[in-house]
Amino acid sequence: MLRRPDGTFNRDLNEFLDRKVTANSVPVDGVYSFDTLDRPTGLLNRVYLPARDNEPQLGIAEVEKPLSASEVVPVILFFHGGSFVHSSANSAIYDIFCRRLVQTCKAAVVSVNYRRSPEHRYPCAYDDGWTALKWVNSRAWLRSGKENDLKVHIYLAGDSSGGNIAHHVAVRAANENVEVLGNILLHPLFGGEERTESEKRLDGKYFVRIQDRDWYWRAYLPEGEDRDHPACNVFGPRSQTLEGLKFPKSLVVVAGLDLVQDWQIGYVEGLKKYGHEVKLLYLEKATIGFYFLPNNEHFESLMDEMKSFIQS
Amino acid sequence: MWPCQPDDGGVDEHFAVLGYNVKSSDMAGVAQKLEQLEEAMGSFHQEGLSQLADETVHYNPSDIASWLESMISGFNPIPEFDSSSDPFLESSASVNSQMPIDLDFGSDLIAIPGKAVYPRTQPPPPEQNQPQPKKLKTSIAAVAPPPPATPLLVDSQENGIRLVHTLMACAEAVQQENFKLAEALVKNIGFLAVSQAGAMRKVATYFAEALARRIYKLYPANQQDSAFNDMLQMHFYETCPYLKFAHFTANQAILEAFAGKSRVHVIDFSMKQGMQWPALLQALALRPGGPPSFRLTGIGPPSHDETDHLQEVGWRLAQLAESINVEFEYRGFVANSLADLDAAMFEIREGETVAVNSIFELHQLLARPGAIEKVLQVVSELKPEILTVVEQEANHNGSAFLDRFTESLHYYSTLFDSLESCGGGGEEAVSVQDKVMSEVYLGRQICNVVACEGVDRVERHETLEQWKSRFGSAGFEAVHLGSNAYKQASMLLALFAGGDGYRVDENNGCLMLGWHTRPLIATSAWKLR
Repeated sequence: MLRRPDGTFNRDLNEFLDRKVTANSVPVDGVYSFDTLDRPTGLLNRVYLPARDNEPQLGIAEVEKPLSASEVVPVILFFHGGSFVHSSANSAIYDIFCRRLVQTCKAAVVSVNYRRSPEHRYPCAYDDGWTALKWVNSRAWLRSGKENDLKVHIYLAGDSSGGNIAHHVAVRAANENVEVLGNILLHPLFGGEERTESEKRLDGKYFVRIQDRDWYWRAYLPEGEDRDHPACNVFGPRSQTLEGLKFPKSLVVVAGLDLVQDWQIGYVEGLKKYGHEVKLLYLEKATIGFYFLPNNEHFESLMDEMKSFIQS
Repeated sequence: MWPCQPDDGGVDEHFAVLGYNVKSSDMAGVAQKLEQLEEAMGSFHQEGLSQLADETVHYNPSDIASWLESMISGFNPIPEFDSSSDPFLESSASVNSQMPIDLDFGSDLIAIPGKAVYPRTQPPPPEQNQPQPKKLKTSIAAVAPPPPATPLLVDSQENGIRLVHTLMACAEAVQQENFKLAEALVKNIGFLAVSQAGAMRKVATYFAEALARRIYKLYPANQQDSAFNDMLQMHFYETCPYLKFAHFTANQAILEAFAGKSRVHVIDFSMKQGMQWPALLQALALRPGGPPSFRLTGIGPPSHDETDHLQEVGWRLAQLAESINVEFEYRGFVANSLADLDAAMFEIREGETVAVNSIFELHQLLARPGAIEKVLQVVSELKPEILTVVEQEANHNGSAFLDRFTESLHYYSTLFDSLESCGGGGEEAVSVQDKVMSEVYLGRQICNVVACEGVDRVERHETLEQWKSRFGSAGFEAVHLGSNAYKQASMLLALFAGGDGYRVDENNGCLMLGWHTRPLIATSAWKLR
């Protein structure tokens, strides 16, 4: 309904229908949040931090001290999903998810409000992701560790298109020597010209159709490009090699009822082929977006896996 | 958990945090409707889908059960539906009739047929109607969670953060009546403020001045000079979109409420220069079927000079109305406070449709006990078709000074930051004078929130949530502003130079305009239950 056949998008109606929440610097269930706007780049990030026990709750974000000078507090740089088109860092579904991440992983979370298509195509989302990574890396107040060895311990994470972005940002980080400790991809968005078996089998079965997926790729990729573009088909005929790259370890979560799963499994195989550490969590009966509601065991397994991934 | 839980099992908590109100008992029904909708959308012709997106008006998507229902009923197939139908199909009551909408981008306010041409396929979802005896409310208020603080940090530079911390420390000292410490800190703030650039510097300076006034008990004189205030507000109107958005969305709601009515009466609590009304008059003049006969009653404070300012404004509007052939009648009321008014004064006539409009006025009533209740009582006696309210979306009326200080520091920092981006490019570049005057306008509010107390502290802003319970107690329920008002407001903002960071959000039927992720003003509409 929002996706028009001519490739344009009913942005106003989309934003009208999206449920948004404000940040809250008063801790709720041990998590508080605030938004930061980096004026030079225009990038907005929503930062979620665990509430410190003995700090006065003044409602002003604590940005002068490091996260911890005694232990490591990981920072998860999170890219929300929405097939590059929908949602924002302040969407209710992602706000609540990021808060759960803080609680489960005992981490700080930075959610990036990257520019979306079709108004902003490739490579805007990746550029924004890279800007965000540099921003996070340079925040003194996101550092943690031992007193004389403070640094920002960064993990990249994302669901759907966010997973795709996390991968590409990780590649760039590896190329430019910025340390990323791990990647967490929740049913990441990959694809290609070929129609895989899972796409044919699950087309239209769980609220998602191949033609929708095609529309989103057409909206994101440069005009005239096809789905074998390296942004989309990461290990396809036009992709860059990951050989010898200091690529972080990955946790890839695949939902068994997601029609794109063959591409995701192909991604895992591709990483293995280049000798990169990767763990696949395959949740047979899960549909996409299963992690938005905590009322199922898929959600529990996901949280457990993520926790041990970050803590190992 | 709380004593007031409705008997049907209440709202599902998982969905509530996601922003949706679904009763637990409705969950299965919602799942079913989602599947139904999915099927319907899959099999329906593409043209029908674009109808649903572009021409249907959507209301309150948070009430997902009703919203899904309205979408599904929108798919009921019309027999022999022909896309090349003639305009006479508009007389059919169906959402799927294809009437070309004439969008005249030249006028400030576009007369959106909205409800008038496409009658809603579903009644607006009623608020969860619980009886609200006063006793129950106090027990809930006693354990209410702390109000959210919503900061938007721009450029978290170290000095900026130190400045904020010093401001906070100073405010805390003031709250604890440790005036020696407060004095020392306020001087420090002066130095730190100078090291900043742009918005932060200005905001810090205003807050520092306000704190100093409070510490030295040098209360500002002449806060109530209405002519000066009006002039400042006009500059604010020109500089940034907030007031224009307020007028625009309120007018949209009033226009829809006046659909099909032939005699209308607008009562404006915030008359000032009457800037809201030309656009409404024009929209009414252009509406299909012709304009109604229009009566306007404007309320304003007494003027300190000889001029009868209210009459002058009325006279100018009368001239405009004449030029566009709208039958117009005007009356100006001078009142020190809205609470001085009685329903009888307005002389509501038989068969007249009344709209009451209040832009940034109601919060001032909170300075005197009983005033807001009196005014809302009077409004309900007027039996208005609609009550449009625009207020600052912030709680600057908390009982603790430090809370008010913190909230207003966040709020005005964001507001000033948005001003920084105004005034570049566009056909009419905003003048430096406009911008400076806007800052003075906001600075006076800051001074009032921080330095004044008691009846002098009139900038007692409260959030929409807080206003909701007040309106509810007075017998009003929300009229939902729909997606067409949202769309028009977004278009208006896009036309505004420097409109990059402005965002419109829909929140339970009300529209909020904010800067990036921080809502700053809220427009809502109300009617008697």
